[in-house]
Amino acid sequence: MNKVTQKVEKGLKKRYMKEKIFKACGLVSIGFAFMFLLLLLTDITIKAWPAFVQTQIELKLDLSEENLGLNAKSAQEEIKQADFRAVIRSALKKQFPDVKKRKDRKELYSLVSFGAEYQLRDLVMDNPNLIGTRSSIKLIADDDVDAVVKGTINRNDDESNRRVKNLKLSLIEGLEENNQISKQFNWTFFSSGDSREPELAGIKGAIMGSLYTILVTLLLSFPVAVAAAIYLEEFAPKNRFIDLIEININNLAAVPSIVFGLLGLAVFINFFSMPRSAPLVGGIVLSLMTLPTIIIASRSAIKAVPPSLREAALGLGASKMQTVFHHVFPAALPGILTGTIIGMAQALGETAPLLMIGMVAFIVDIPQSIGDPSTVLPIQVFLWADSPERGFLEKTSAAILVLIGFLIIMNAVAIYLRKKFEKKW
Amino acid sequence: MNTQTMKENINLTNMKEKSIAEIHAEHKQTIGEPFCDNVKFSTRNVDVFYADNQAIYDVSLDIGKNEVIALIGPSGCGKSTFLRCLNRMNDTIDICKVTGDLELDGTNIYSKNQDPVLLRARVGMVFQKPNPFPKSIYDNVAYGPRIHGLTKNKAELDELVEDSLRKAGLFEEVKDRLNSPGTGLSGGQQQRLCIARTIAVQPEVILMDEPASALDPIATAKIEELISDLSKNYTIVIVTHSMQQAARVSQRTAYFHLGKLIEVGETNQIFTHPRHELTERYITGRFG
Repeated sequence: MNKVTQKVEKGLKKRYMKEKIFKACGLVSIGFAFMFLLLLLTDITIKAWPAFVQTQIELKLDLSEENLGLNAKSAQEEIKQADFRAVIRSALKKQFPDVKKRKDRKELYSLVSFGAEYQLRDLVMDNPNLIGTRSSIKLIADDDVDAVVKGTINRNDDESNRRVKNLKLSLIEGLEENNQISKQFNWTFFSSGDSREPELAGIKGAIMGSLYTILVTLLLSFPVAVAAAIYLEEFAPKNRFIDLIEININNLAAVPSIVFGLLGLAVFINFFSMPRSAPLVGGIVLSLMTLPTIIIASRSAIKAVPPSLREAALGLGASKMQTVFHHVFPAALPGILTGTIIGMAQALGETAPLLMIGMVAFIVDIPQSIGDPSTVLPIQVFLWADSPERGFLEKTSAAILVLIGFLIIMNAVAIYLRKKFEKKW
Repeated sequence: MNTQTMKENINLTNMKEKSIAEIHAEHKQTIGEPFCDNVKFSTRNVDVFYADNQAIYDVSLDIGKNEVIALIGPSGCGKSTFLRCLNRMNDTIDICKVTGDLELDGTNIYSKNQDPVLLRARVGMVFQKPNPFPKSIYDNVAYGPRIHGLTKNKAELDELVEDSLRKAGLFEEVKDRLNSPGTGLSGGQQQRLCIARTIAVQPEVILMDEPASALDPIATAKIEELISDLSKNYTIVIVTHSMQQAARVSQRTAYFHLGKLIEVGETNQIFTHPRHELTERYITGRFG
């Protein structure tokens, strides 16, 4: 064995050791990151789970014509005015005749949600033949009942520490004995807007608000950013002015997002008098914020297109424009799309700038256009997390899950598009 | 050989011969026959600069009609740069500046009136590395005719594509899969596809920048055969690192060294009786 081999052999063990240590470090890091992710997701999912279940109370309601002051031929407008609250209350009174005191009656009536009468009204308006019958109808339970049934409020706690007092607890247990309490999937959560009552609050308003906002953002930022990236990368002369623009774009990507919110407030709302709290303004502000992200990603995608492709086209006598749009742009498209969707995901999760332009308002109606006042998913999370009612705790987690779901869908689309447009050379 | 004799050898060489740099510095005038009759391309006093670095010094060379001229020389000698002047490919490099007279059929190609797009349609180019578009074989060949509007209808285009592929000797191999991607072909086939793509535009001159350097010997032989066929109809300027290749395909050979055109002559004559010392040293393999 000669000297070189001996020297190499001597060092080998150390080299392999280093490699092993590095691999182990990598594995530990990945494990660490994965553990935290799992912890986060499990925690949120466990907390959010109850939000997807709705507690209902089945009551025998006397929908007789005299009780409602209606008949089978009443017009829709009359049905709308009928006193459904009295119907529900009389049903409850009838079931619990022992509850006599005024204060206790109040407790009794609050077993069903504040929104139950509207639920009943809508039901009757859709099925007018219910009028004049006695039917068992499932009504949305109040959030306290909901919490007791789901176990969020512990029945064995001392009464002074318990939000639901003994009287109400006994009423709930009475209903449970009669099998009048049931649970079902919470459609309300996905079909209605925000509400002050946790059992009536839904996420649809925020979802629509987010979709409109993202739509405006995408329509504004994608064409502008791609055009800017192509110009800067392929057509711009190399001079000081262009260098300055480049530096500014990079700096813009690092500007705190709330600054964009202030800009939106000052320029779009105060100066241009655009509507407050609207996805239109939110979208414009977010597209200002995502522009640098998309421009930077698109430029690096365009830069990564092999120069041989450009030469091939130019060598055939294609003009610069033809070279760029027939060859460079399609080749860079997967990268551009990935960058765009990363930008969109960033915009979807952005809260701060939207606070400044009033999208933090409490809005019950589901927005129908980009000009309607609305809120977005992350702000809905923020609003619910801020609410004192216990029922909003689970809603907050559920809203986070919905937001994460959207992000996962967007990333999946990004991966799909990249795979679809990717071409090998 | 021990170190002692090696050192002596080096000393001997140093004493016997002038250094290459010295000869290069002394060289002023191109030796041989840079000019010819029946000129297609004529270049006079061409200088090329990359920012402050001069890449080509005062090159004057004529390229005859329907001849194959080979540009040879060691790496970095400016032969590719000179080639890229001929279809103004250097325009795409911002810092590159070309001076001197370059005339194609008597018109200055660097004049303000000359459109580079039009020039490149007349002077096609085949690159060192096969660079088919990530499209189908058919679309690769059809791209040039399409952007220039050379054909009136689909049938004419089909015919032109087939004809070009035939001329490039590729049609028989790919006729069943014209719609499969051009990037799926082997290296040699890709290069012939690139040649077919260039022919499809029906250029007058074809520039080839080391077209076979990335290919194996069999593919190289096919390309060389193809060049000989094409020389009947086209003027071909080929840059090559392989002297055998230059000897096989070209009628004239120009030897470049560090940006200077050292010697031009009949290929046979260059390889058998080089007149300049640098040429002789290069072709006998003493550097390069």
